[in-house]
Amino acid sequence: MSSSSERVSSDTDGKRDTVSSWTGASLAARRGLRTAALAVVLPLAVIIIWQYAGRGGSLFGGVLPTPDRVWEAWRIWAFGPTGLGLNPYSGTWLANLLFSAERVGKGFLCAIVVGVPVGIAIGWNRISAGTLDPTIQLLRPIPITAWLPFSIAVFGIQDIGAIFLISLGAFFPIVLNTAQGARDVERNLIRASLMMGAGRWTVLRRVVLPASLPSIFTGLRIGLGIGWTAVIVAEMVAVKSGLGYVLWDAYYVGRMDVVIADMATIGLLGLLSDMIIMQIERWVLNWRRLQSYQS
Amino acid sequence: MGTITFEGVSKIYGGQREVRALDDISLTIGEGEFVALLGPSGCGKSTLLNVLAGFEKVTKGELLFDGTTISKPGPDRGVVFQEAALFPWLTVWQNVIFGPQVQGMARPEYEPRARQLLDLVGLTSFADALPVQLSGGMRQRVGIARVLVMNPRALLMDEPFGALDAQTRLSMQQLLLDVWQKLNTTVLFVTHDIDEAILLSDRICVMSARPGRIIKTIPIELARPRSIASLTSPEFIAYKAEIMADIRITDHH
Ligand SMILES: Nc1ncnc2c1ncn2[C@@H]1O[C@H](COP(=O)(O)OP(=O)(O)OP(=O)(O)O)[C@@H](O)[C@H]1O
Ligand SMILES: [Mg+2]
Repeated sequence: MSSSSERVSSDTDGKRDTVSSWTGASLAARRGLRTAALAVVLPLAVIIIWQYAGRGGSLFGGVLPTPDRVWEAWRIWAFGPTGLGLNPYSGTWLANLLFSAERVGKGFLCAIVVGVPVGIAIGWNRISAGTLDPTIQLLRPIPITAWLPFSIAVFGIQDIGAIFLISLGAFFPIVLNTAQGARDVERNLIRASLMMGAGRWTVLRRVVLPASLPSIFTGLRIGLGIGWTAVIVAEMVAVKSGLGYVLWDAYYVGRMDVVIADMATIGLLGLLSDMIIMQIERWVLNWRRLQSYQS
Repeated sequence: MGTITFEGVSKIYGGQREVRALDDISLTIGEGEFVALLGPSGCGKSTLLNVLAGFEKVTKGELLFDGTTISKPGPDRGVVFQEAALFPWLTVWQNVIFGPQVQGMARPEYEPRARQLLDLVGLTSFADALPVQLSGGMRQRVGIARVLVMNPRALLMDEPFGALDAQTRLSMQQLLLDVWQKLNTTVLFVTHDIDEAILLSDRICVMSARPGRIIKTIPIELARPRSIASLTSPEFIAYKAEIMADIRITDHH
């Protein structure tokens, strides 16, 4: 039945494949370079204007330090000697970054572990949707900032409070998107699996879950973004370490250079974590990528 | 094994306007018989197949498969869907062994048979490809292989070649003839292509729309084994003329 014209490019024609993947690689590299170049134009322009607009190292009458000062502050914050010198931030950048990242990681993981099963249950089963969805919709409009007093009262000034806020913030987008994905599973895929003898659990695990993954990943990306917001808010108020704590502390003692270096760190960290998720998504959803590339 | 019995089966879809999709259908399909269901769009062909598959419940009447009432879908009735309905995240091979796997069969039990069937449908070299990397006809062949691997007593096919181009369609019809002549399972084949119905089946049930009824049953006594060469024989043309006349009569109603 299969004629020689019916071929998949991936594993049949080895030689041509290596050639095309070679040129493909260099093409991709060039495209990547151009994307990167385009991406830095705007930030670079802002930094340059900001630098030259400043007089005597600051703007707005000493409030906003120029980029060179921010850079210097970051350098000392990152690589300066630690200890009880005049600069309490010296050498603490990595430690604080790791504090924040660890909290986001833990909170995000909790949100996934609870959010994905709950989302699947809501999207798949009418009774669990009826029981869980109204409560979730009721809690969802309460911003994480409004949960702060509650969290401090219950958990005290501790890590667990920050982790609670992060998982709460990330939970809602994960649940909503997972539920949407589970609701939208193609009817014939479910029917096909039932026809082949799959039980309820097998349908959930082997059909509903994989079919929902594209939506789940959308939820994860939004959830992670909210997680970073939550960690900063929590650290500003409810714990005594991390990037959020440094941010607020530096503001109090008038170290705007550290404040801005801190903000830049948060931004880059958020970007990095999003890129990691996207990379995992690309790897897990290879089938979907092929689908969308084929026109 | 593989006997299908409809006894006064009706199916009414509820909702704002009730639709009587099947009205008092009585039909018996014997073991190893190939029956084609022919009719205009919306006459209830898919509904008939879906109640038989166990995807939908009947409103009235009795629907039996080998003497037992049908209550849910199962691997004894293999369904081939119009758009194949393969799992896009699984490779061809994984799609084919999905049924035996979820039924908890051991690998040595199903692997030789799965390989054999993949070979039969000509897709051995595509075992590791994803469904998106296949053509429509190839996808349909995977859909057939994954059902045959379960050794079903009946095959239910809902316009399985409807979305294919004429040439691929012919080769798929030939493939189905070859496979069926080898296996001899009961087949219910939904189509609105008259040629396809005559070529493949032992018997054609012609349906009319609203309410969905079987208005005529035509035995097709063309010699077997058949091949797509039969399409041009005089007997074939005679059957075609007869059926077209029937359909014209129902159109004027
Ligand atoms: N899930 C449903 N809910 C309500 N009405 C339905 C449903 N499925 C089918 N119907 C109605 O039942 C009738 C028969 O539909 P069915 O899909 O069985 O037709 P068909 O013969 O398969 O048509 P086609 O050749 O176009 O596939 C139609 O009038 C349709 O509107
Ligand atoms: Mg139909």
